[in-house]
Amino acid sequence: MIKPLDVAAGSVLVTALVLGLVVPPDAVQGDLQRIMYVHVPSAWLAYLSFGLTLVFGVAYLRTRRIRWDHLAGASAEVGVVFTGLALVTGSIWGKPVWGVWWTWDARLVLTAVMFFVYLGYLALRRAFEDPEVRARRASVYGIVAVAQIPLVHFSVVWWRGLHQPPTVLRPGDPQIDGPLLAALLAAVFAFTVVYAALVSRRAEVARLEDLAAALPADGAVAGAGISAPPIVGGGR
Amino acid sequence: MIRHIRVLLAAHLRDERRAGEVGLVIIPFGLVALLVIPMAVGIDTPLLDRIGPGLFWAVLVLFGTVVTQRQSATEGDARRDLFTLLGVDPAARFAAAALAGTILLTVFAVVVGSVTMVLYDPTIPGAAWLALIVPLACAGIAMVGTLAAAVAGGLGTRSSLAPLLVVPISVPILLAAAQATEGLRAGAGILRWILLLAVVDVVLALAGVLTARPLEES
Repeated sequence: MIKPLDVAAGSVLVTALVLGLVVPPDAVQGDLQRIMYVHVPSAWLAYLSFGLTLVFGVAYLRTRRIRWDHLAGASAEVGVVFTGLALVTGSIWGKPVWGVWWTWDARLVLTAVMFFVYLGYLALRRAFEDPEVRARRASVYGIVAVAQIPLVHFSVVWWRGLHQPPTVLRPGDPQIDGPLLAALLAAVFAFTVVYAALVSRRAEVARLEDLAAALPADGAVAGAGISAPPIVGGGR
Repeated sequence: MIRHIRVLLAAHLRDERRAGEVGLVIIPFGLVALLVIPMAVGIDTPLLDRIGPGLFWAVLVLFGTVVTQRQSATEGDARRDLFTLLGVDPAARFAAAALAGTILLTVFAVVVGSVTMVLYDPTIPGAAWLALIVPLACAGIAMVGTLAAAVAGGLGTRSSLAPLLVVPISVPILLAAAQATEGLRAGAGILRWILLLAVVDVVLALAGVLTARPLEES
């Protein structure tokens, strides 16, 4: 069943993509800069999703409602996908601009590290069968893991590297032309709505997975058709 | 609580003295890594001088994971239940395990660091600062390892999962320690890196103490 949020996500995404294609090209980079309309929102979603994984984890530890854990897991999964997308689009942009697919820049390395931190988070979740134990352990790891976010964001300030410093989220006015900023903000908004739709869907799937796992396994597989043979006569 | 920490810390160190896992297995393994690396990158003395300190920190983080996970092998539901019945605060258990890890990692760092100085012959002016940097880094790695051992406790895949949980989260510690060492070599300021190490340690200590109780629930 298609939800209103899915329709909204699709609509704003198409609008943002069209806007990203019709705004004027960058004065220096030309059309190559348009990849930023995917790269920047993906990086933003990495921060948002891992930050919300922390918030949902804390909410679970405080209320012990498993719904929060489903949301935390869903947010981390979607965050890993968007972090991967940010790394790939950054690499595609880097090849023509920097001349290399990958460079040992602090922002790149720490983003890749953050990707692996949350892969570890997802591996940890998969390792537990009991939903309560999984929720507790994953919530704690999610709290520790979130320290990566400020490190990634401020890496361009703390270390001199190839990656440009913040353009929009910085003290003072954004260093970007008006139409380009509008397209970028539209893309950020659209990706955020897509994130909300994906997390909502994934959390619902997680709830159904837990329900399915709680079903009795015998009966469902072999039914009553197979039973152990009776022991006649007992031992010696 | 302090008494609980002291007793549990003594127990952890007694376990290590009996088993000798760090002294007889992990330290020699770390030394083998220091010997193998020059064979992989080539016997280039200036290059080895340059990369020696960085290799030391990389070895400390990677093998530190093994050091901090050794205690998780003896932790089980029965021991946890016993401590709960005895009224031992879970935060005291975290603190004792992290302190034991810090002490054992510092021993590991001193031995491996000394051998690094001999094998790679790096020039580090102001090496006395390492007496502050090394314990701070060891404490951070030990706390990450203790937390990872707690969240992965009881799992069959614990030994393969723990490195994935510990090493990426230890990267800020590795970066700060390595940058501080490079700062010493270059004669640059290192206080901000020491501050970063201290902040990471405080954040990890708070996280460990605050989350100890939920992790202990069965």
